[in-house]
Amino acid sequence: MSKPAHRAGGAPKAAVDSDICPVCKSSRYLNPNMKFLVNPECYHKMCESCVDRIFSHGPAPCPIAGCKRTLRKMRFREQTFEDLKVEREVDIRRRVAKVFNKREEDFETLKDYNDYLETVEEVTWNLILKIDVEATERRLRQFEEAQKAELNPNVARRETQSDSSAPSDASRVVLKKGATQRKALSASSGNTPNPYSSQDGTEDTGFTFRGLKKRTAPEPQKPFDPYSGWSVEPQFYILQDDYNVEWLTQSKNDIQHLAGGYNIKDFYSQALCEAFSGFGVFIEDEIVARDRQVSGDETLATQMAATAGTGAKDVRMDDVF
Amino acid sequence: MRLTEDDLYRTSTQYKHWSFTPSQLAAQRRTTNIQASERVKAAVARQRAQRSLLDASASESERAGSGVENGGDTPVRVDKEVNCLTVTEEKRLVDVFCARALDLGKFLKFPTEVTATGIQFLRRFYLFNSPMTYEPQTISPCAMFVANKVENHGLPLERYVAVLPNMTTDKVLAPEYLLVQGLRFNFQVRHPFNGLKGGHLEMIEMARGNANLLPNAEKTKEQLQQEMLQLPRKPNGPAQSLSVAQLEKRIENAYGFASIVLKGPAQLTDAYFLYTPSQIWFTAHLLADEPLTLFYLSAKVPTSPIHSKIISTLRSCADLLSSHSSYTTDQISKEEKVAREKKEKEEVSALIKKAKHCRDPDKIDLVKLNLAQKRDAVAGGSLEESKAKRRKLEREGYQKESDDFWGPELKKANGAKVA
Ligand SMILES: [Zn+2]
Ligand SMILES: [Zn+2]
Repeated sequence: MSKPAHRAGGAPKAAVDSDICPVCKSSRYLNPNMKFLVNPECYHKMCESCVDRIFSHGPAPCPIAGCKRTLRKMRFREQTFEDLKVEREVDIRRRVAKVFNKREEDFETLKDYNDYLETVEEVTWNLILKIDVEATERRLRQFEEAQKAELNPNVARRETQSDSSAPSDASRVVLKKGATQRKALSASSGNTPNPYSSQDGTEDTGFTFRGLKKRTAPEPQKPFDPYSGWSVEPQFYILQDDYNVEWLTQSKNDIQHLAGGYNIKDFYSQALCEAFSGFGVFIEDEIVARDRQVSGDETLATQMAATAGTGAKDVRMDDVF
Repeated sequence: MRLTEDDLYRTSTQYKHWSFTPSQLAAQRRTTNIQASERVKAAVARQRAQRSLLDASASESERAGSGVENGGDTPVRVDKEVNCLTVTEEKRLVDVFCARALDLGKFLKFPTEVTATGIQFLRRFYLFNSPMTYEPQTISPCAMFVANKVENHGLPLERYVAVLPNMTTDKVLAPEYLLVQGLRFNFQVRHPFNGLKGGHLEMIEMARGNANLLPNAEKTKEQLQQEMLQLPRKPNGPAQSLSVAQLEKRIENAYGFASIVLKGPAQLTDAYFLYTPSQIWFTAHLLADEPLTLFYLSAKVPTSPIHSKIISTLRSCADLLSSHSSYTTDQISKEEKVAREKKEKEEVSALIKKAKHCRDPDKIDLVKLNLAQKRDAVAGGSLEESKAKRRKLEREGYQKESDDFWGPELKKANGAKVA
């Protein structure tokens, strides 16, 4: 990482340097279309054709002398900033910000929020300055997992069940890494206790922030109810499964009715409902009460219309002719 | 959130807009009558003033001219005060035409619901409109046709018109919008027919001793059945002991009578305005078999405060239904019946004659009025013709403009049939 800084001795040298691929030594002078790419794993520059040549057949170690990192072709890209230090810092900050995505309203007090920002900045600088990288990375990942689990408890439960054979959090993370690294890591962390897993058995979340409000997962969506909670509960009858009367037997067994999806029970429920629909509605009482509620305006209007008489048009509705 | 059957009924337009207390009903009819007669009087006075003006100018300018056209189709020629219909006469007239609509439904072999809906449309329409303004003769074929559509009967207009004498499609369709607006676009009419069927089903099951009981029922199914078998024929009559089959027969008879009441008197009175369909079918059943109906009622509503209220409502509805002339016709002697029918006929024809004399002259030819609302109307003869021509030219101009812009209409494939 310190290489570009070392090389930037003078302006003309830097210009020449940036025009020659450190791997194949071909220069831009001969190939004006040459493009340089970097991989955020180690930020070593090389030309596009070198990337194609070396990494087309899968992950391979970096060809720059002294760097043994395994690179993948997919992650090569053009650099955005001239200074690769800036490029790297931006990448790190982006990654950290994705995990630490809390806002001020997620905290109880402003002080808690500021403490949180302080921690985030510390973590970021640890990564940038490569202090304690391994541990910091792991804590970062733990924190991310914990956040996810908080939002969706089902996923967390499922994972802990499937991971019962591999209880440590670190080993789960390792699965995502390259095969060689996985071996090395499992060998190293095989019997050493995880310094960050807490002793009392509660799950380690990487970071804990004071005053951070607990997030609650949104309610799972309920099955759609077309009646939005309303239901009909008859008070005067209880529907029977079947009613036996002569005049119904024909339609009951009529093949045309059956083929059309007609269900005789629908007839029962409709007939019974209509039999008592409005049974306890006493128009004389209810209409008067209702009209009194509506206020006397309307009756006044009709009275006026009646006295006006020649007002020709009806009050209640316009005459079409 | 639970709804009872009653709440369901309260959501209907029949409850919201077409239910009245007797006094409201009377007041509304009075209002309609006053408005209509004022309008008729004003229109007639205006027409007379116009005619006298015409007469005067005609006699001055062309004394020789004898055949001056002076409103040949105005019904009121006699220059006396217009004798308007009273509220009672109006109602009687509407009732007469409702009865005729009933016959029309029978003649057309319409299902009961269709005829009943048509009749209710008529009754509702004439609650806010007077037969003086719009003749029932013109409105009622339209009401029946709209009911035919609303109730999904689906008799095509051409066939409908072909069956009726002196009827054209224009005559049926001209008042359609007027009618529908008069109904305030409330097309659903709740009838008691299906309810009666439902009640009948339950009574039959109860007679067999396997009706589902309400949670607060005091008796068992068997007790109900036993008591039902011992019900007296007449109120306060001696107890009987029927077999189940006999009881079923009794229930069926009651159903038959009740359904006749529902198809006749229930349609021809104000029952639909004053009571709910459920109360109407209960009443019809009460008229058919009182002990049975009261027993069924007490099984449903065991001595709660609403029980007595329901009974009194049913009784008043029963008074209304049984007071109608079509209810008692089979209980009187033949001569009496003939005499009564003859007397009724005379009354009705006199009434129709009177109605003819107080027609609103502005609203006589609905077909023409309807046409005038549409484009290319040539209502005023030659004077309007130039206007129509100009309109036609304008329309062609617009058409051409849009064709220039959008391209002409796609040509139909040759030989494609235009249905
Ligand atoms: Zn190269
Ligand atoms: Zn490298």
